[in-house]
Amino acid sequence: MTDGPLIVQSDKTLLLEVDHDQAEPCRRAIAPFAELERSPEHVHTYRLTPLGLWNAGAAGHDAEQVVDTLLTYSRYPVPHALLVDIAETMARYGRLRLESDPVHGLVLHTTDRAVLEEVLRSKRVRPLVGMRIDDDSVAVHPSQRGTLKQALVKLGWPAEDLAGYVDGEAHPIELVEDGWSLRQYQQEAAEGFWHGGSGVVVLPCGAGKTLVGTAAMAQAKATTLILVTNTVAARQWRDELLRRTSLTDDEIGEYSGAKKEIRPVTVATYQVMTTRRKGVYTHLELLDARDWGLIIYDEVHLLPAPIFRMTADLQARRRLGLTATLIREDGREDDVFTLIGPKRYDAPWREIENQGWIAPADCVEVRVTLDDAARLAYAVAEPDDRYRLCSTSDTKTRVVERLVEKHAGEPTLVIGQYIDQLDDLAERLHAPVVKGQTTVRERQRLYEAFRSGELPVLVVSKVANFSIDLPEASVAIQVSGTFGSRQEEAQRLGRILRPKADGRTARFYTVVARDTVDQEFAQHRQRFLAEQGYAYRIIDAEDVLAGTDPA
Amino acid sequence: MGTTKTEAPGRSLADELRGRSDDDLAALLRVRPDLVNPVPVDVAQLAARAMTRASILRVIDRLDRFSLHVVDAIAILPEPVTQAAIGDLLGVPESAVGEAIGELRTAAIVWGGDDDLRMVRAAHEIVGPYPVGLGPPLRQALTALPPTRLAQLAAGLGLDHAGDPVTDTHVIADAITNRIDHIFDELGEESIEALRKLAVGPPTGRVDDAQREVDIHTARTPIDALLARGLLVPVDAGTVVLPREVGLHMRGDLLRAGISSEPPEPPGKRQDATTVDRTAGAGAFEAVRRVEELLDAWSADPPPMLRAGGLGVRDLRRLAQAFDTDETTAGLLADLAHAAGLVAPSSDFDQLWLPTPKSDVWRRLEPADRWTTIATTWLSTTRVAALIGSRDDRDRPVSALGRDLGRPLAPEVRRLVLEVLARLAPGTAPDVDAVRDAVRWARPRRGGRLRDELVAWTMREAEVLGFTGHNALASYSRALLDGRVEDATAALAAVLPEPLDHILIQADLTAVAPGPLRPDIARELAVLADVESRGGATVHRFTAASVRRALDAGMTAADVHAFLAQLSRTHVPQPLTYLVDDVARQHGRLRVGGAASFVRCDDEAVLAQIMADPLAGALGLRRLAPTVLGSDLDPSTLLERLRRMGQHPTAEAADGSIAVAGAVTRRAPDRRHTETQVNRPVPSDALLAAAVRAIRAGDRTSASRPADAAPARLGRSASTQTIADLRRAVDGGSTVWIGYVDHDGGSTERVVDPVNLDGGWLAAFDHRAGAVRSFAVHRISGVAPIDSHGGTT
Repeated sequence: MTDGPLIVQSDKTLLLEVDHDQAEPCRRAIAPFAELERSPEHVHTYRLTPLGLWNAGAAGHDAEQVVDTLLTYSRYPVPHALLVDIAETMARYGRLRLESDPVHGLVLHTTDRAVLEEVLRSKRVRPLVGMRIDDDSVAVHPSQRGTLKQALVKLGWPAEDLAGYVDGEAHPIELVEDGWSLRQYQQEAAEGFWHGGSGVVVLPCGAGKTLVGTAAMAQAKATTLILVTNTVAARQWRDELLRRTSLTDDEIGEYSGAKKEIRPVTVATYQVMTTRRKGVYTHLELLDARDWGLIIYDEVHLLPAPIFRMTADLQARRRLGLTATLIREDGREDDVFTLIGPKRYDAPWREIENQGWIAPADCVEVRVTLDDAARLAYAVAEPDDRYRLCSTSDTKTRVVERLVEKHAGEPTLVIGQYIDQLDDLAERLHAPVVKGQTTVRERQRLYEAFRSGELPVLVVSKVANFSIDLPEASVAIQVSGTFGSRQEEAQRLGRILRPKADGRTARFYTVVARDTVDQEFAQHRQRFLAEQGYAYRIIDAEDVLAGTDPA
Repeated sequence: MGTTKTEAPGRSLADELRGRSDDDLAALLRVRPDLVNPVPVDVAQLAARAMTRASILRVIDRLDRFSLHVVDAIAILPEPVTQAAIGDLLGVPESAVGEAIGELRTAAIVWGGDDDLRMVRAAHEIVGPYPVGLGPPLRQALTALPPTRLAQLAAGLGLDHAGDPVTDTHVIADAITNRIDHIFDELGEESIEALRKLAVGPPTGRVDDAQREVDIHTARTPIDALLARGLLVPVDAGTVVLPREVGLHMRGDLLRAGISSEPPEPPGKRQDATTVDRTAGAGAFEAVRRVEELLDAWSADPPPMLRAGGLGVRDLRRLAQAFDTDETTAGLLADLAHAAGLVAPSSDFDQLWLPTPKSDVWRRLEPADRWTTIATTWLSTTRVAALIGSRDDRDRPVSALGRDLGRPLAPEVRRLVLEVLARLAPGTAPDVDAVRDAVRWARPRRGGRLRDELVAWTMREAEVLGFTGHNALASYSRALLDGRVEDATAALAAVLPEPLDHILIQADLTAVAPGPLRPDIARELAVLADVESRGGATVHRFTAASVRRALDAGMTAADVHAFLAQLSRTHVPQPLTYLVDDVARQHGRLRVGGAASFVRCDDEAVLAQIMADPLAGALGLRRLAPTVLGSDLDPSTLLERLRRMGQHPTAEAADGSIAVAGAVTRRAPDRRHTETQVNRPVPSDALLAAAVRAIRAGDRTSASRPADAAPARLGRSASTQTIADLRRAVDGGSTVWIGYVDHDGGSTERVVDPVNLDGGWLAAFDHRAGAVRSFAVHRISGVAPIDSHGGTT
């Protein structure tokens, strides 16, 4: 035990030395209860959180196993207090259970009367429960199932939801595996979800999360509601479903700003669901329009708060969340846990990359020195304008031109935040722009052209951040972004991670202005990349322009 | 006839002490250090002091449950008390009693032979009238009865009624004692049930009309039956008492069932002793590391001291966050740092908590030595950190480092708990309740609820501080308890992980040291990178600010690169190299310097002339710009010197000058941490030997004095002895000589019969004056008893 790969820190992080010969079994052993926080090249950081431990509890692991794992792999003695804390935290899960009672319907049942008394005394819980049935049970109205679970997690007494799911309206869905088949990890993820009932599958961008959803639908064989981020994503889900399953065009409906179709399988956008007229969500009835057997949430980390509230009412239906990262910039990870479900499957990016399912990427930061005039303008600018000023400098444009030139012949995306800058770039690069104003039809035409290789370069605004599928992009050049959003960085990197036909290494360039806030934001985003195991290099724009860039 | 002597036949405690060997005398002083302060004049004074109630109480409060039972037994048993009788009464072998008696003898609570044990009166008083819930002996209880009731009792028992109440009570008491089985056979179940209740104690019960006239024939109720047989004796109109003999009979002639001479052994979970040591070692290391962290944090940003003393709640919470722990642990470590003298309030007007110079010395010690400092402080401090956050008597919250944390009982209980753990086999982890029982057994009379709470707190704190691992005592803690500090340090050093000399640097600009770093490396790295997470390993993060800090501290970019390359076991990532160069590129572009004065002149030639002057060397001048010189001299001196050099400078208004205070690390003066001395430290052997010699010398002086030289003796007797002698004379109604210093300072001798001693005044019948006079006790220079024939004894 003196030479394990794991080091337990006092802030409850676990450091895993990846080059250790026991690292792999250790990683597998701790994955169920610890959240992977960072996975740079040598030492991966996991974190023990109450949610993570409860997730493990929900998946059938007990405290003894967790403690035993830590003791087995830990290099140094594990503080007694930490072990006690783990045992206590895990013991809190399952003291309360939501069960389905043949007589009273949904009940909250406890194995520890004191706990029930404690939670019933809480102001937050009291209005959510009904009549007291006996000392150990209290009735719960089915509509409060989600809200109650949420409240209980906030109180630190998460309820184990054993009340089961409604089957929903049956609808035949089969996978049509002609010339392709589910990858092993996709299979495992779908099964992990199905056994757990509800929950979240965490897979990197480009690892085929859509297929996991499709596989889950084929297992449910029931009417399905799919909630996605935007219309383009909705169309892509539709295309994917048509290609991979026995579903026909008539069976798939789109419920978006443009169309309001309700079919056995309906793909709806977050935006339409959260549209309000006079303070009322006008499209709520969609949720009850059919007896859905499965609800899929694409990009769970972006799920807007109103949808959380709606989800609270859907606790009797199976829910599948798909995401690349559980990190939410708003910190509402525990809502994901309670309302959609615990994490059922995850695999680090590097692992899937090593299996060859996503392309390796080479990340390069290009530092541009602003000219004196620009520096002076930047120095005296209002703080609000600074980022825009430095991130749209002319010097950047020249560097982008040079980079595009260098990768001529490779499908290249230029991604930016500011429309003026993008328009300017498009003009200089003789490439079309996809931005918010671009119609959906035009967008799809451009994507298709890009896919076929007809268009070598495409300039896109942040509308393309999510769920567009550009299979052959192998170079991405980022000129500006939404401040320091780590999520955006992940999504943009995801654009180029699909495996290339020729096994080429993808290139991800970020062009930043030196000594400005642009550089600070870039550092924040890159930290995320580095934490995901994507090492990056920093080069000077002068080298690029002079052609002496070693890359 | 000397009345005091008839009451105490055989040797007195003083005689017994006088007969002790020097070693035994030293042993007494060792277990009762309060007797050495100040050193008694002679054995008589030692004995007098040893018999005072306060001193005896100190001893009795620290007896374990079994010894207390022995004391109770001596109080209960009729004289002469024998060891065998005690053994029978307690239901334990005589040898076990012998051991306890031995200790009581050493402490001078008990003296006399094994077959005639005597106990000091104060001990009897402390035991009280109803020892272990037993009532007074029959003889004593019966004296309260009127003659008619005695006659009835005698008749009921078929005894002759002598008419003399004293004889009657003795006869009746003996008869009841001897025939008790027989008498019990006559009783109904309800009567026995009533006795059973009183037998558990307390022995008194309320009964209406307790003094009713009943005999065996008129008895109707169960209580009547008991009263009629003398098994219950009325005390007053509404109370009856169960006599001691009856109570003991009900208890099966045992003081109490299930008395054990051995402390309870707490059951525990056995664990691998090596694992325990390693876990405890990790805890010890963590505790030391956290104290260091505290010193770092408070050095940089000292928290203010509350006006009432102590540390604010918010500052404590911040500390807990920095420690990644709860406030209890943070409070404990902060308080120990304070108790160990590592932090103290600054002496400024606004008092701040600052590390002391002692902390700088402490930090340079090896980790194991650092731990022993903290650990020994914890063992001896009366401060109880667990009280932080509770409410005091006036309902104010008790703050960390505050003044309300002292509890005299704390070090005693801490040691007891650790000793309980130390008695168990290595690696055994008992549960808290069992330890609490064992501590209760060891000190039943001490502390009550606080003692029980202290046990739980001690167990918790011992784990936090690394005395224990998984609640079992580490081997090095055993050494520390035995006072073998060096062995403890060495044993701890052996279980601490080996310091590392390398780190792993990663592309996300973090560096992980997968274990404790060598202190020199750790210090340097702490400058170059921010610490992000601590524990078994340390995670550092490089940022532009941290690299700049290293450059400010005098490193160059090349130094940083070399340091990292040498330290990193892996390839230094390109972004880090780039970061260092990038920061170095900008470092030093904008500069701030210090100068006490400057010289300004639009004519560069004048300044050049000044610089060229041979006298300028002493002015500490440097050229800041073509038209500006800076100097370290203050403006007036510089002005003066320049004039001497033949220049004609004028002073410039102060708003142009730059005064920069050097970055001085702030320290509070070393301050001795004072605590109330509640438990006197055990005196050293040398001190004890000296005390014994002094007492012996005093004794020889008294002994060599001729018997008829009473006046001489009157002059030197110590005041405690004076008061004791006077009290004895008052109690015994005897006649004594006193030496008395009158108003004029003249010494006279009087023969008096003391009547009363109160408030520093003695009222006595003065034989010479033939009247009762008052004597100020402080003027009485000595007392000597006189037998009734007028000679001194």
